[in-house]
Amino acid sequence: MRTIDRLKRRFFSLVHKGDKERQMNDELRFHLEMEEERQRGLGKGGDEARRAAAVAFGGVEDVKEACRDARGTRLFEDLAQDVKYGLRSLRRSPGFAAVVILTLGLGIGANTAMFSVVNTVLLRPLPYAEGGDLMVLRQSAPGSGVADIGISPPEVVDFRSQAESLEGVAEYHSMTFTLLGGPEPRRVQTGVVSASYFSLLGIAPVLGRDFRAEDEQHGADAVLLLSHEFWTKDFGGDPAVVGRRFEMNDRVHTVIGVLPPIPRYPDENDVFMPTVACPFRSRQSVVEDRRARMLQAFARKKPGVTLDAARAEVAMVAERLRRQHKEAYSEQALGYRADLLPLREELVRRARPTFLLLLGTVAFVLLIACANTANLMVARMAGREKELALRASLGAGRGRLMRQLLTESTLLAVAGGAFGLLLAFLASGLLATFVSRLTPRASEMRLDAAVFAFTLGLSVLTGIVAGSLPGLPSWRRLAEALQDGGRSGSGATRNRLRSALVVSQLALSFVLLMGAALTLRSFAKLRAVDAGFRPERVLTAEVHLNWSRYLTAEHRLDTDRALAFHENLKARLESLPGVVSASPAWTFPLNSSFNNNGTFRIEGRTYASDDALPRGEARGAGAEYFDAIGVPVLRGRKFDARDRAGAAFVVLISQGLARRHFGDQDPIGQRLTTGGQNYATIVGVVGDVRNASLDQEPKDTIYLSFLQFPGFSCQYFVRTLGDPRLLERQFAEAVHSLDAQTALHGVRTLEDVRDAALGSTRLTSALLGAFALLALAITAAGLSGLIAYSVSQRTHEIGIRMALGAAPRRVLRMVLGHGLRSVAQGLALGTAAALALARLVSGLLFGVAPTDLLCFVGSGALLLVVATVACLLPARRAVAIDPQIALRSL
Amino acid sequence: MANSVDLLQGTLDLLVLRVLLPGPMHGWGISQRILQVSEDVLRVNQGSLYPSLHRLEEQGYVAAEWGESENGRKAKFYSLTKPGRKRLDQETADWERLSSAVQRILRTA
Repeated sequence: MRTIDRLKRRFFSLVHKGDKERQMNDELRFHLEMEEERQRGLGKGGDEARRAAAVAFGGVEDVKEACRDARGTRLFEDLAQDVKYGLRSLRRSPGFAAVVILTLGLGIGANTAMFSVVNTVLLRPLPYAEGGDLMVLRQSAPGSGVADIGISPPEVVDFRSQAESLEGVAEYHSMTFTLLGGPEPRRVQTGVVSASYFSLLGIAPVLGRDFRAEDEQHGADAVLLLSHEFWTKDFGGDPAVVGRRFEMNDRVHTVIGVLPPIPRYPDENDVFMPTVACPFRSRQSVVEDRRARMLQAFARKKPGVTLDAARAEVAMVAERLRRQHKEAYSEQALGYRADLLPLREELVRRARPTFLLLLGTVAFVLLIACANTANLMVARMAGREKELALRASLGAGRGRLMRQLLTESTLLAVAGGAFGLLLAFLASGLLATFVSRLTPRASEMRLDAAVFAFTLGLSVLTGIVAGSLPGLPSWRRLAEALQDGGRSGSGATRNRLRSALVVSQLALSFVLLMGAALTLRSFAKLRAVDAGFRPERVLTAEVHLNWSRYLTAEHRLDTDRALAFHENLKARLESLPGVVSASPAWTFPLNSSFNNNGTFRIEGRTYASDDALPRGEARGAGAEYFDAIGVPVLRGRKFDARDRAGAAFVVLISQGLARRHFGDQDPIGQRLTTGGQNYATIVGVVGDVRNASLDQEPKDTIYLSFLQFPGFSCQYFVRTLGDPRLLERQFAEAVHSLDAQTALHGVRTLEDVRDAALGSTRLTSALLGAFALLALAITAAGLSGLIAYSVSQRTHEIGIRMALGAAPRRVLRMVLGHGLRSVAQGLALGTAAALALARLVSGLLFGVAPTDLLCFVGSGALLLVVATVACLLPARRAVAIDPQIALRSL
Repeated sequence: MANSVDLLQGTLDLLVLRVLLPGPMHGWGISQRILQVSEDVLRVNQGSLYPSLHRLEEQGYVAAEWGESENGRKAKFYSLTKPGRKRLDQETADWERLSSAVQRILRTA
């Protein structure tokens, strides 16, 4: 209570500051008058008495100051005064203020932007209730190199009932279905989940209701929850959508609710349905099949249980299952195991290193901006010594002067912070696009209170650091400044400080240039990678049959009708003017999420055990696939129309597989099988393709004939003579004219596919490059300023030299030498720092060593050139000095 | 001021509080009272007295009020508050303990 009273009083005395001052004056005047009276009583005359009273009292102003201090309002009053004074002083040098606000603003803005990313993605808790307890339950087979083999329906049931340390286990998988009832068939990405999925995550719908246990009973009415994005985009956020009925998979589906905006993880789903609504998942054969590992599982750890204990229990359950159901875990070589991974880490695993690298980069940029500001302040200090000396002689303490300087630099930094915030706001859209390539949490990004607080804190910190680096001149200097009429002499300390600041800027710039060069080079290497296909002039799109119309009586794909559709579509597409060839395939190259790895056997060979079986990836491709995407057929033949369902099985193999497993033998005519009893004849060898990603070596691939293994969904490729985009509309018309219920999705060119595979690398290197150039520009300005300052200081000396006959070239060399010495020191320091930091970035590079010589030399050369230009500009002024004028002004 | 003694801040606070015990008094009166009672030994510097008064007021040990002085002028009168009285008791006890301890040492050690 006392403290509150005191604060109240303090505030009150600030509000009534004028009152207080007047009262204090009255009180002290009264004292003086009484003293005067007393002196008169001692027999002194009027003037004499007054003088004696004044002497007895001492310095009135000192007493007042001491009283103000005692009242404790001093700090606030001083601050207000400092701010007022600081603003006035900065108004007098608008150029200085503008440069500082600009550089600090860029530095702080970059940090604000990156912090908003890191805050959202790495710091803020997941937008799920108690997100820290949410886990991914993952089964892996390290022996086969597959990090995630999926989980089957019976396994989900077992983990749910046997793992005591888990509060719940929910399953998830995603499929594409065709939603009918809107203006046109809509292919919807559908998350198929346990009824408890959203309550496990701790998410409640914003409209309508969540799934209930009865929605997951066999024979329940099919219901749908819409994702927030799908709802706003396709239904304009209309609340009346709840209760609407759509046709999907030949059944009526009723919308029961809309989800809040949540990370679009694991997939960008449009709608969600309970497991029983999924025609595949609900099949009895799948429900009972322990090997149908088509699902992902999420679990919530019980709050009291440690992560280690839960993981140990999950591993134990997995081991028990493996022993109980030997037939389902037969491939011993796979080294089957199960584990828990915190969901939070899983969501940002890919993004973390990149973001930390960028955060480090912007921190460097800010350090450079900070050093530059400090440098400018040192230079400005020289011109202010007189002013400071004057204030000191009027009674301002050293601390008081320092506080004044810090207030000024903080004012500047806060203004810079405001500017930076504006920049970050302007860049936020662009940044979100970038972040979304790396993590599903991008949608949560916003400039919130935490970001504002960060920016303010960073600004104040920057102001204090930049303001205190220059330090105060010594009292002796100030005294001299007052005496010698203001000729600001050259403090050797100050020059050393300025040089040190510029050298550190140069060193930091070099590190940033090096980082940018490395990522740029990685990007260039990645872009130059020959993925094994020719992406130019190819249009591609997913084609999703409304599968319910292509079923046999046994609920299997009606191959004949599907093939008829594909043969018709191919014919129509190829009859379009400008189309060279068209073909379906299971999926597109560079598709990192398609994973169809497995073992195979070559006929006539014996394998010691299952462990020794060769591995490869199976992909279905149509007859013209290789022509369409430009993969060479090296030996034998490609597929043709005869290789359709019912005919003898044929395969094509990739060059790598042929080399590894057939060596000098001719593989054509040999037979292999990918697991089943049916052997397929190898009819050709095709070029290697990087099917997974650009930075992974091509895998051994076995191509199956699409016409022998068609599916409900596939990817089409159309090679054209001209711009493939012009065919988009005709492509859609061809598909819909054959079957109006067929959904077409993701129409793009094959070059887009390739670019997407480069996407995050391209943006990362562009960002790093931009930051490095920004830093370089600030550093160059700093260096230029330093040289200009030293030239102005040495005007007389240079004048004398020139008067004594020094050639302009010599003077130029002298001035340049000064600058280049700093550059050399900066390069040496920067190289050491870059070597020390090299290890940190190596994981983000492709095909480039973190100590790449070319990058070192290139960065160094660029820095040297820019620095030389930065030095040359002021050096030219030195050469232009007229000795006569320089000497006369001495 | 030849025979005056410098006062430690805490001691001055104690004296001010004690002087105010009989009743309200203005700053000038306080300084004169201390001088008088100490028989001209303790001459209080105004540079210490007023900050001390303002600090005690800020801390709530004394209250201030404007009133009329004995010669009819407007003056600021200070009076002890209840916390001030308690503080005075405490400080007096502390002071007595300290001074008797110092005396014991001076006499016997």
